[in-house]
Amino acid sequence: MKLYFFSEMPHHEFPDEEGDKYPSLRLDFPNSFFNREIAARNYHNYFDEYVLADEVGFDGIMINEHHSTPSCSNVSINMSAAILARTTKRAKILLMGNILPIQDNPVMVAEQIAMADLISGGRIVSGFVRGIGVETWWANVNPVHNRERFEECHDLIIKCWTTPGPFRWEGKHYHFRHVNPWCLPLQRPYPPIWVPGTTSPETALWAGRHGYTYVPFLVPLPIARELFDYYRQGASEVGRVVTPDNLGFMICAVCADTPDKANQAGPHFQWRMGPTLRAPVEYFAPAGMRSRAGQAMALRARPASLSKMPYEELVANDLIVAGTPEYLLARFSHIQRELGIGHLLLQGHESRMDHPTTMRSIELIGKQVIPALAAL
Amino acid sequence: MAAEPREEMISVGGIKAHTLVGGRGAPLLVLHGAGGPNGWRRWHTALAEQFTLYVPSHPGFGRSDAADWMESVRDLARYYLWFLDVVGVPRASILGSSLGGWVAAELATMNPHAVDRLVLVAPAGLKPERGEILDIFYYPLDTLRGLQFHDPGQVPEWDELYGQPPTPEEQDVQLRNREMAARLTWKPYLFDPRLPRFLPRVTNQTLIVWGREDRIIPPICGEQYLRLLPNATLRLIEGCGHQPQIEKPDELVRIVREFLGAASPSASGAPR
Repeated sequence: MKLYFFSEMPHHEFPDEEGDKYPSLRLDFPNSFFNREIAARNYHNYFDEYVLADEVGFDGIMINEHHSTPSCSNVSINMSAAILARTTKRAKILLMGNILPIQDNPVMVAEQIAMADLISGGRIVSGFVRGIGVETWWANVNPVHNRERFEECHDLIIKCWTTPGPFRWEGKHYHFRHVNPWCLPLQRPYPPIWVPGTTSPETALWAGRHGYTYVPFLVPLPIARELFDYYRQGASEVGRVVTPDNLGFMICAVCADTPDKANQAGPHFQWRMGPTLRAPVEYFAPAGMRSRAGQAMALRARPASLSKMPYEELVANDLIVAGTPEYLLARFSHIQRELGIGHLLLQGHESRMDHPTTMRSIELIGKQVIPALAAL
Repeated sequence: MAAEPREEMISVGGIKAHTLVGGRGAPLLVLHGAGGPNGWRRWHTALAEQFTLYVPSHPGFGRSDAADWMESVRDLARYYLWFLDVVGVPRASILGSSLGGWVAAELATMNPHAVDRLVLVAPAGLKPERGEILDIFYYPLDTLRGLQFHDPGQVPEWDELYGQPPTPEEQDVQLRNREMAARLTWKPYLFDPRLPRFLPRVTNQTLIVWGREDRIIPPICGEQYLRLLPNATLRLIEGCGHQPQIEKPDELVRIVREFLGAASPSASGAPR
């Protein structure tokens, strides 16, 4: 099982009582609370953490993108990918992912991913996501078109990488008369494609049909298994065999020298379960963005909502794994046995977890957990 | 008391519109707002004494067929021009509220000859010169309900409309309505930047009605419509929010009767 390090690059640099005054930290909380000097420093810390993860042996480093929220200051996944392409040496660079429905120019997305792949020596793993409602508001793209645009944007990017130009694209949402990108990925025919999932059965089916690696994020293990069943259903429709390489899972994890230190760091992850998800349902799922099936699944996937789970319950469900290298090894092995996955994505930093703690965690996982896991 | 309306599924271009038809007299097409249809209400009953009302649910709303291919209010306006052909009414007065008012205005710019008189109740469609149209998709439905009325206590049909929590089926219809409203109005949000260019074509007699305390669409839009439509009058209803037909139905009916009854359907309001 391969391990990946991920940070949302949070900007939790304001008094919490100020954020509490608004319906949500996303969209509503004024950016007058954005601290430019601290953000400048944090970016360097975050990229240093990725460089260390690369050096100590993580199989991959994962980045994502959000907008209009202090929970994630990575506002351009392809820009970050380009930085990491030059500053890291061996780890896969997992983009998880480009938010396709909000793109107005899929050709440019195809070019940017290709450029990062070339610079990195073919280390890009290209995730594609539908995004959450907040990004739809940010981009002001009609949410009822979310799935259609996701699929059409995907199809055009793949065509850019597989069909010699020039060609014409007259779709429903995208129209280009002269497509001929003079920048193609180093990996042939194109980088591996991954798709995350939280609640949408349609996405799991779609990923299964395409043979893309599918990664549920932070859902209880029974829900992950259910989503994997949808994935297998999609794969079987087209006669694909599902291997562990097709399945991943994301949790939060921090490693420390002692259980006490780990338990001081672990609760930082609760910020992403509660405060940063607090919002009217319309912010995350505006009208028409989710199918009725997806809505029903969403209610079951997070029955009490993660925000209401006490820390101990998040730990008991392995949504947060915080401990010594031995403890992490035991939990990771358990998850691997339960889900049969080939990739475990670790959100390894959150909220106000300090930089030395994060660096030590990366170091311990790299030096002790990864070799032990490989030996199992 | 007028007879109960009859229900019809009227097929237009293969899309069936669930339609309530009732009353007697000259035809009056009634177009609902973004929140969706809410049945045959007391204001319908009152107007049905003098007019034959056609009250369709827009495609994608209520029990009408889906029309996922539609993208704009202009599509819906073209649909209703065709609808009038299908029901055999070459010329009808039209009363539209909110989203329905915008549809009526667009339709009239496309073919003013198909319209007798026009009643626009707090119509969307124009960008307010001051203030903003409330983002109805940003708020939960129960919050939105509070914002629609100036004083819920004066809504005479409150119990029938909102007294019971919606059944799962009704919730599903509410989601469906919201989805179709988003499909038609998302961007630019609830207005058409080119509509002002075409409104001067509509020389039909037009009544614009607005609740002075409308918190959804600023009443200043009423003044903008008034300037753009050559033969329009604007009536403000005091102490009333975005839905005069629900919040002050008797006053709305009186104003509308006064306007529609002022001339014979065949002679008035013909565009030149």
